Amino acid sequence: MSSFLKHRPSLPLWLGLLSIGVLIGVAGALNVLINGHAQVYNVTREVPWGILIATYVFLVVSSTGLCLLSSLGHVFGIEKFEFIGKRAIILAIITLLCGFGAIGMEINHPIRLAIYAIISPNFTSAIWWMGTLYGLYLVLLSGELYFLMKGMHKGAFTMGMLGFIAAVSAHSNLGAVFGLLEARPFWHGSFLPIYFILSALVSGGAIVSLIVYFNYKQSGTPIPQKYEAFFDTLGRLQTLFLMVLVFFVIWKIIPGIYGHPPEKYEATMAMLTGPLAFNFWFFEVLLGLLIPITLLINPRTRTPMGVMWAGISATVGIFFMRYDLVIGGQLVSMRAGTADLRDGLLHYVPSITEFAIVIGAISTCLLLYTLAEKFLPLDADEH
Amino acid sequence: MKNKRFAIVLDTKRCIDCKACTVACKTENHVPLGTDNYRNWVGPEPLRGTYPNLGQTFTPSQCQHCSNPPCEHVCPTGATTVTPDGIVHVIEHKCIGCKYCMTACPYDARYYNEEIEAVDKCTFCSQRIYGENGQLPACVETCPTKVRVFGDLNDPNSDVSKLLAKHPSRVLKPAQGTKPNLYYLI
Ligand code: SF4
Ligand code: SF4
Repeated sequence: MSSFLKHRPSLPLWLGLLSIGVLIGVAGALNVLINGHAQVYNVTREVPWGILIATYVFLVVSSTGLCLLSSLGHVFGIEKFEFIGKRAIILAIITLLCGFGAIGMEINHPIRLAIYAIISPNFTSAIWWMGTLYGLYLVLLSGELYFLMKGMHKGAFTMGMLGFIAAVSAHSNLGAVFGLLEARPFWHGSFLPIYFILSALVSGGAIVSLIVYFNYKQSGTPIPQKYEAFFDTLGRLQTLFLMVLVFFVIWKIIPGIYGHPPEKYEATMAMLTGPLAFNFWFFEVLLGLLIPITLLINPRTRTPMGVMWAGISATVGIFFMRYDLVIGGQLVSMRAGTADLRDGLLHYVPSITEFAIVIGAISTCLLLYTLAEKFLPLDADEH
Repeated sequence: MKNKRFAIVLDTKRCIDCKACTVACKTENHVPLGTDNYRNWVGPEPLRGTYPNLGQTFTPSQCQHCSNPPCEHVCPTGATTVTPDGIVHVIEHKCIGCKYCMTACPYDARYYNEEIEAVDKCTFCSQRIYGENGQLPACVETCPTKVRVFGDLNDPNSDVSKLLAKHPSRVLKPAQGTKPNLYYLI
């Protein structure tokens, strides 16, 4: 322990900060349990899904991305990626669980969900499939981690393969939770299921760069030559993912404004020039896309540190992509005569309790991962 | 016996925006206080014309009891369900409060009721229409200008069937494919 702390002088500070974050989350959750959702959340009948749903989506996108990136190594046999296996899978499990926590705080009766999803399932519901597929995905990830920890490569391969299929199914279905809603033109269609898979790759690439970088940074040892090469490859791959994402963003916007399609236009304009415009231009476009692409495309900044900064910037940007997607789809009122419109749109700003739970969920994720890093043997057995 | 297909036909030209229907509904159905809590509403249409030649109509509305209800399709636990007579309703103890139905409904007909701890919506006052005296829904009974007419579309001699035979009508958002059962006379 003492040598551990000596090598990682900032660790107690980091753990302290995360613990405060977790406590803030606990306080938020208690506030909900005591006072009820309606009193402490800012979601309304017309904007019923708020920042907690966005956080849930963000966390499970991260989980899927980590699973996809790690499968590059032990499923698809790209050697350079093999060593991230355990860390990526463990963080995939943690982000998934924290995501469940966030959505569990948004829905009113998670316990009823557990009961009636089993005894009274509705197979036409994308949320039913979401619960089922993510449940399956969690089981497969856990199996994969077990085999990886035991060094059983065949089992890890099989589980990894099944996990990969579950990840893609569960995650595209999450896109369908939004995409199947005909009532919401901003979401409706086959775009979101496909887009979710791509954005998972971007999330996964960004987070993998962070876990590898900070692992070496924190251990106090210089980054070995081998990992310099890994960062270079990851940086190139991430550039590709981000470029494709730019293309997706552009083709989301153009059909949203071309010919002013009803309701879709208003929602798209809410992002371009309306209440979500700062989020969109500053966080999504600048932090989420332009800064990482600039850092990664230039060989001189495609260093481990550059890739790490690109990862941080993209991860922050991606959070806002989720938020704007979830909120933007609900800002157009479903009927004439709703009183409380601003510039023709509904509005939603998260409450303090909602923010507290978001901070709690993300801090819990980071805290659990830091502890896993400390207590579990995660360094790969080179093979 | 043949199932019923309940519907409401509305003549909005008669609506004076008195909102008696919304008050009657809240009282009859124990809708909690709060701006978000209501099962029905009266929507003002935009003002027509220029002064002094002005006109305005009001469109009272509520759950359309769609024949193809998206709220039912999306409900993960089957809490939202449809009776054989076409009444879309929520089985309270099965509702997990995911609010998926609220995002799926194109008419904003639903709200989360903290008192019953489930999503709530219009039930055509089923407690009244199936009750001993076979009363009308509260909003229909209370309307001073008789905007609303309630009845069974499967019965060709019902008032609703006759009105729809006699007058042209429209439904809200037909392109959604929800097949609403609130008809507006034109
Ligand atoms: S109006 Fe909305 S709540 Fe009512 S049946 Fe149709 S979709 Fe469902
Ligand atoms: S909120 Fe309740 S009624 Fe609505 S979809 Fe969820 S479980 Fe079904």
